[in-house]
Amino acid sequence: MAARLTDAVALDVVAARRSPLPRALIIGATIVLVLLIAAALAKVIAPYPFDQMHIRDRLSPPSLHYLAGTDEYGRDVFSRLLIGSQLSLLLGVIATLISMGIGVPLGLLAGYRRGLTDEVIMRALDIMMAFPPIMLVLLILAVTQPSLVKTAFAIGVLSAPPIGRVTRSVTLDLMSGEFMEAARARGERLHYVLRRELLPNVWPLLMVEASLRVVFAVLLGAVLSFLGFGVQPPAADWGLMISDGRAFVDKAPWISLAPGIAMSITVIGISLLGDGLREVLDPRMDGRR
Amino acid sequence: MNDTVIHAPPLLDVRNLTVRYGGHLDHAAVRDVSFLLHPGEALGIVGESGSGKSSIAGAILDFLDPSVRIDGQILFEGRDLTRLSRKDRRAVLGRRIGSVFQDPFTALNPALRIGRQIAEPIVRHLGVKPYEAARRAVDLLHEMGIQRAEEVAGAFPHQLSGGMKQRALIAAALACEPPLLILDEPTTALDVTVEAQILRLLARQRQQKRVSLLFISHNLGIVQRLCDRVAVMYASQFVELGTVHSVLEQSAHPYSKGLLASRPPLRAAARGNRLPAIRGQMPSMPRPDTACVFTPRCPFAEARCTEGAQVLTAASPGHLARCWKADQVGDWPRQGVEAIDQGPFRPGDALVNVTRLRKTFSARRGLAAWRLSVAAGRPRLRYQPSEVAAVDDVSLSVSPGEVLGLVGESGCGKSTLGRLALRLLHQTAGSVEFDGADLSHVSGSDLTTFRKQAQIVFQNIGSSLNPRLSVGEAIERPLALFGLAKPHERRQRVEELLDMVRLPSSYRQRYPHQLSGGERQRVAIARALATEPRFIVCDEPVSALDVSVQAAIVNLLADLRDQFGLAYLFISHDLAVVAQLSDRVAVMYQGRICEIGTPAELLASPRHPYTRMLLAAVKEDPMPEERPAGYQVATSALGCAFAARCPHCLPSLCDTTPPPLRTITASHEAACHFELSSETRHEVASVSTIIS
Repeated sequence: MAARLTDAVALDVVAARRSPLPRALIIGATIVLVLLIAAALAKVIAPYPFDQMHIRDRLSPPSLHYLAGTDEYGRDVFSRLLIGSQLSLLLGVIATLISMGIGVPLGLLAGYRRGLTDEVIMRALDIMMAFPPIMLVLLILAVTQPSLVKTAFAIGVLSAPPIGRVTRSVTLDLMSGEFMEAARARGERLHYVLRRELLPNVWPLLMVEASLRVVFAVLLGAVLSFLGFGVQPPAADWGLMISDGRAFVDKAPWISLAPGIAMSITVIGISLLGDGLREVLDPRMDGRR
Repeated sequence: MNDTVIHAPPLLDVRNLTVRYGGHLDHAAVRDVSFLLHPGEALGIVGESGSGKSSIAGAILDFLDPSVRIDGQILFEGRDLTRLSRKDRRAVLGRRIGSVFQDPFTALNPALRIGRQIAEPIVRHLGVKPYEAARRAVDLLHEMGIQRAEEVAGAFPHQLSGGMKQRALIAAALACEPPLLILDEPTTALDVTVEAQILRLLARQRQQKRVSLLFISHNLGIVQRLCDRVAVMYASQFVELGTVHSVLEQSAHPYSKGLLASRPPLRAAARGNRLPAIRGQMPSMPRPDTACVFTPRCPFAEARCTEGAQVLTAASPGHLARCWKADQVGDWPRQGVEAIDQGPFRPGDALVNVTRLRKTFSARRGLAAWRLSVAAGRPRLRYQPSEVAAVDDVSLSVSPGEVLGLVGESGCGKSTLGRLALRLLHQTAGSVEFDGADLSHVSGSDLTTFRKQAQIVFQNIGSSLNPRLSVGEAIERPLALFGLAKPHERRQRVEELLDMVRLPSSYRQRYPHQLSGGERQRVAIARALATEPRFIVCDEPVSALDVSVQAAIVNLLADLRDQFGLAYLFISHDLAVVAQLSDRVAVMYQGRICEIGTPAELLASPRHPYTRMLLAAVKEDPMPEERPAGYQVATSALGCAFAARCPHCLPSLCDTTPPPLRTITASHEAACHFELSSETRHEVASVSTIIS
């Protein structure tokens, strides 16, 4: 059974330990920041050009020369990782922005209007969710020329339904709040209610969902590259690198392992950041501003 | 009290209990609390929210978070509970100590049948066989005054009313016949008539089984009815402890005096009357080591009060108070009463006119409305949607500047009526007129004008303000929306509005979670006032507030009414609060108005059996016996809605004919077939209704 605290006491308890930021936020933000800096300065940091071949050092294991070893053409895996992070992160962010741009307004509208509007929007989103995501992206990419923007757009559209659902469920929850009724008693217009009354309250949970979506987009992008529908060789991309390293997994596991580890760290970092942000942003979870 | 009780070894002996959240002494929720509870005795702990009273129960019942530090001793039957291992402690809890909490709606597991939940502790603690325990569970339910106990035992929680659930929970708490029962606000979530029944049940159980009660409540009246001794708690400390008689009749501590004085009396009040309120609010982090923590709110405070910690000293034998000048403190000061007998309104000159208003909600429709029945040996599928009338044929009017009180139990439709009056809901039939215009035909700029003139203040202090908007933004919005102030004047206007509700202008930048309940309600009132309305629906505006804060808000509403000539539809379940503020009061039951009149008429000579039942419940009069209605009260579509519970009901008449609204005086009407006189309980069926 949970502790039974009266409101006032609970507020004080939170106030007492409000000062330190959540540990998840600090760790997550650090990881993401390092990744972003590394991606931005990839050309500067990278010890070698990503496509430079060192024929004599093919498949050499990680060493001081080659921090993460080399691949079958003798290209430096670490340099390729850095350059590849640019594409992966860009894809994740653009795709998530697109999915939020579509999902959030639809979710707010469905939750606020209810009734027929709700049914139409939610059923449409359900239909989109029913498609296997990879199939749909593959379909789009197979009939047209692959490009980063198109990949991002495809993934973004696919991620819109879950964002819409989360937004709608939070909105439904908020609808029972009496401040919503106060807004109706003033005869507020739709635009104001959605933007000023609802949206700020939906943000905290959306942060968590958005971080998950970035992760999802990064992974899906990698999968597409792995299958050969995303970024084309010789460009460096994490999914592509894993795919390329497949043939040498027994002799040179670092080729696939290094991008795999990089991806895991990215995923963990972004997830922690999302969790931490929610804790800080939610007014009920911090004591004083 | 007889002497043998006093001299028996105490059942519960709490010594210097201190409960700290987060390790600092500053965050102590309970500070150095000591008390004794003898077998068969009932001790009440009274305090406002945040005073730490629930933390005492939490410490005894081991409900607090493991990070909470508990110091002191809790001796139960001679053993210190704080030193017992988890396993030993669990054996004591439930077996020797029963507990009942505030919210009966969530305390039962929705997936298990009632009987099973009561039998569970019997099986677990007494090692009784399940079928035997199930039989005992039924007996227990029967003892709790439940008719058809077997049916109830087989029911799931959602099938029971709140009062029934609380009875079931008390049955479960008493299942192992524990010598101690701890009750934390057990009746707060219930209607007054149900509350009265639960209190009577507890008193009876206490007498029959010699159970000791530790009764925690914010409500002094309830403690007075049930307990022998009472402790008043303020900001983590006991400030007064003594017999119910000495604490409530001859209270020594200024806080107790203030609490008692700020309770609205159950009588009609003149327009100029104001409740004595306690100014300010309870400190959230009190420091009682250096000064009396009540000093900032105390009208008797002087320099010496801040010169050191206050100690509990005997005001009289067996009566302790934490105030050095307890013996010199006089009565709590009352505010001056201006002689305004009648409001500025003229009856008959209606601002809001509600005529034969009806609102139904569909309880069953769509797929769920298809019913399969077997007729003449043949299955038949029929579409049978069902509707519930939340508001049923209601007519009333509110004059400009008038306060119309609306009283009723939860679910009677009073909030729906308030929302219909503001066109937040659309009626099924009937009409609402505002200032002569029928609201169902109003649109466009006329609707905007109406929205500006009619506002609402809510009950739920947790959700009436958007947590993401600052106080300033919330109050400013109506100004911008209705173009009531130019952008550069808005800030000043917001400060004026804050001043009107007695808040400092610095509160503009605060967010709702930084405000106390009373402050939030003030902001909500300021937001409603910002549109310069003529009519405000107050939907239980003080129900969620503590007594001392409640008095201040009721006074504020009265002040604003007089200052701006506002008309209120004041909705509440609390007759005393309504009587305090209203010019007329309407009593509502199951969607219908059963009686309407001035507070004086209603309180002195209630004519409807339901009004009488409500009054008896709060006055602690013997309640009229209700007709046993089982656990579902069905309304007959034809007759009187109250017939199922009415002690005077004449089935041949009341179940078939709707009672007419009968005029008693010019302002007093009641909807009952019988002319119940104010003196006798004998009634005469009026001739006219029998003929019809």
